[in-house]
Amino acid sequence: MRPAYEDLFHLIEPLLPQVEKPSRYIDHEWGVLAKREARFRVCLMYPDTYEVGLPNQGIAILYRVLNAQEGISCERGYLPWTDMADKMRAAGVPLLSLEGAAPVRAFDVLGMHVPHEMAATNYLEAFDLAGIPQLSADRGEDDPIVIAGGPSVYNPEPLAPFIDAFLIGEGEEHIVEVCRELERSRDARLPRRERLALLARIPGTYVPALYDVAFDAETAPHGFAVPKEGSAAPGIVYKRVAADFAATDPLAQSVVPYAELVHDRLSIEVLRGCARGCRFCQAGITYRPVRERSADQVVAAVARGLERTGYDEVSLTSLSTTDHSQCERMLDRLNERLADTGISVSIPSQRLDSFDVEMAEAVAGGKKGGLTFAVEAGSQRLRDVINKNVTEEDLDRAMRAAFEAGWRRAKLYFMMGLPTETDDDIRGIARLADHVIDLAQEVVPKSQRGSVSVSVSVSVFVPKAHTPFQWEGQLDRDEVKRRQQLLIHSVRHRNVRVHYHDADVSLLEAVLSRGGRDIAPLIQEAWARGARFDAWTEHFDLGTWRAAAEACGIDLDQVACAPYRIGQRLPWEHTSPGVSQGYLEREYRRACDAQTTPDCTRASCTGCGICPTLGVENKIMEVRR
Amino acid sequence: MNEENLFRLRVEYVKQGRLRYLGHLELIHTVERIVRRAQLPYAVTQGFSPHMKIAFSSALPVGTASDCEWYDVFLTAYVPAPRALEALAAASPADLAPRRAGYVDRRAAALTAALTRARYRAVLALEEGAPSDEGRARDALVALCAADGIPYLRGKKTKTMSLARTLVSAELVARDALTWELALDTRSSAEGALRPEVLIRAWEKALAAANGGAAPRDAVAAVLAEPLAVAPYGIFAHCEIARISQNIEDKRGILVEPLPLGA
Repeated sequence: MRPAYEDLFHLIEPLLPQVEKPSRYIDHEWGVLAKREARFRVCLMYPDTYEVGLPNQGIAILYRVLNAQEGISCERGYLPWTDMADKMRAAGVPLLSLEGAAPVRAFDVLGMHVPHEMAATNYLEAFDLAGIPQLSADRGEDDPIVIAGGPSVYNPEPLAPFIDAFLIGEGEEHIVEVCRELERSRDARLPRRERLALLARIPGTYVPALYDVAFDAETAPHGFAVPKEGSAAPGIVYKRVAADFAATDPLAQSVVPYAELVHDRLSIEVLRGCARGCRFCQAGITYRPVRERSADQVVAAVARGLERTGYDEVSLTSLSTTDHSQCERMLDRLNERLADTGISVSIPSQRLDSFDVEMAEAVAGGKKGGLTFAVEAGSQRLRDVINKNVTEEDLDRAMRAAFEAGWRRAKLYFMMGLPTETDDDIRGIARLADHVIDLAQEVVPKSQRGSVSVSVSVSVFVPKAHTPFQWEGQLDRDEVKRRQQLLIHSVRHRNVRVHYHDADVSLLEAVLSRGGRDIAPLIQEAWARGARFDAWTEHFDLGTWRAAAEACGIDLDQVACAPYRIGQRLPWEHTSPGVSQGYLEREYRRACDAQTTPDCTRASCTGCGICPTLGVENKIMEVRR
Repeated sequence: MNEENLFRLRVEYVKQGRLRYLGHLELIHTVERIVRRAQLPYAVTQGFSPHMKIAFSSALPVGTASDCEWYDVFLTAYVPAPRALEALAAASPADLAPRRAGYVDRRAAALTAALTRARYRAVLALEEGAPSDEGRARDALVALCAADGIPYLRGKKTKTMSLARTLVSAELVARDALTWELALDTRSSAEGALRPEVLIRAWEKALAAANGGAAPRDAVAAVLAEPLAVAPYGIFAHCEIARISQNIEDKRGILVEPLPLGA
């Protein structure tokens, strides 16, 4: 039986004095929009703790959109931290929504955000705490319909058996259509199976139960998904796009938290999409086309948002904010407006090739903390392979200007294990870092040289679906470890610190990014063996996953590292951001020849196929520099 | 900005309901956001990292309620106090509602230094199975309050909370068979303040031993002999603590209101 929708806060209140950060669970924040009375109830859940999930822009947008709908109430949910989850289990308290403190299982829809691959076990933990069967096939008429959406749904197969319907792409309009359809089919008392089949008719909706996994000679063990006979589900589900992005409300946020968050500030999404065309980058494909808001719209939204929330920082967010054709003007106008208020403006990061000291001084209230640049590769050849169109001269110019203007710390991001990478490319990373220190010795007054530091952060490349590198395997772990040692021993200067990401985490990320529906039992087995919060280094344990893989007969290294052949059927080909296979193949070949491809917001169309396939186009305010 | 042109608005507010679980830093940030939402002309510190000129009374332990918390915020323009109060109320969640606002001397001592006297009330619900004897409890309390201090664990560190310096009086009233009320009058200084939950847990631990047959005085001595873990000891089912007053103590020992009437 479906539990009643009722406030059960009294069940968790006695647990609050016994757990870390009770403010995670108390709700009653400023700006809550959920309604007490509603005909249709949605709980949108972020699969991690409150303080990680609250700043999420996607949920903020959908929360606002759904609560603006007549008769629909949307609440939020987060995963209780392990201390609270254990106490709730011991006390027999089910997973509750935040605003109404009502059982999650009492909702019509449970919407799971899919932020990245490493949240996989957390969905299962949430279902288990909520008393909802983990497998879609086991759910009954009294269970909520479990939908999922977010940036990481472009290879949904590893999660496919756990989710009733994936919403692929931008959800602003899509989620309303899905909820209205579910309300209608619920009121018509249709059985669950039929209700899901009806959802598959809404563009952008992938209902895994309507697809079989097929295999041919070379696709084992992952296979590829094809619609079941007679199911009427589409062969390819294309992502949804909010075509008129500038017409959407730029002020998505409403809730002001009490708990201190990682990103505790007002965020205004100033532009969506990035067409720089870095070949490793999934977001660079999946968020196209590029659409800017006008400076006027952004400035007005900042003023309105600060007044409504009381934040002391505003961040102008996007994949690449400094690419906005009116970025400088926006920053100038905001700084003028916010003078003497103690409120600062920030932007996520700057590109090396467009770094501008004045722009950097215009953010973060003029504070000169560390500067962060994504260089990605250690040689020009390899940067051309990945189409990261920055040069050593760009680095030189940017760092010289930054040191002259008073910055002392720089953080440089690189990847290891990129296609065609050699030891020279690794030594190139060390050479660049040393070079930046040499530059500082030239530019920085002698008395201040001690404070100069360069930190090099190196992650392991994870090949992602729908990118030109989707066919590549991941570099194997032993070789990763050898190259990490090579890098450390190649650095000369003491002031260069090298950090590298845990190769274990990257290995699992690759498994979850590249596998098919065959990976789902592995996720379930790992959860059953205690894996949860795998995105937290203190919780992640590859040993648990290795044991689970052995029990499932899966070879993690094989899944992560085995390349796909061009032309082979791929596990993710039935969900698409609209990019053409021909474009990805062409880009892959150009990569192998170290040939770069320009940015279509600055040059002519590069033929990725997204605009014609989805019927959309780039919308830029002014000519980009 | 000229310091002399600033106005020092003193605000009293409550911390209650679910919001008593906010930590002190969470509370500070929330109040700063309330002031900004209220659109008051708050002053900003000069220098490298400008921030709101605001100061709070001493931190409440997480979980303790209060109807007498205070902050001073400096304004660059005079706003009539009733209007400021109204704007703050409209920008506050109900469980942090402001109660009073008024102006005080710009040069007055900081709240943390000035408010040295605080009274607490703890409502203690006894476990239904084994209600404790009130007489024994009173004896244990008297013995405990005579101690110089209570050693206790905070995380893995052992600390000692002075009673000689911080406790003015402790009074036990039994409301009914299962509900006791403990009233604490305390005095803080730069060296520290009384933490009601530590005193109550030490007392509870001694009571548990006394219920087992030990004389209250011996039970207290045993509790004081080793660092206390501030955890339930099975005597009280619930313990609700509230700060019920904060005052300035003048040179003659007379308690003065933080915001004189008519300020």
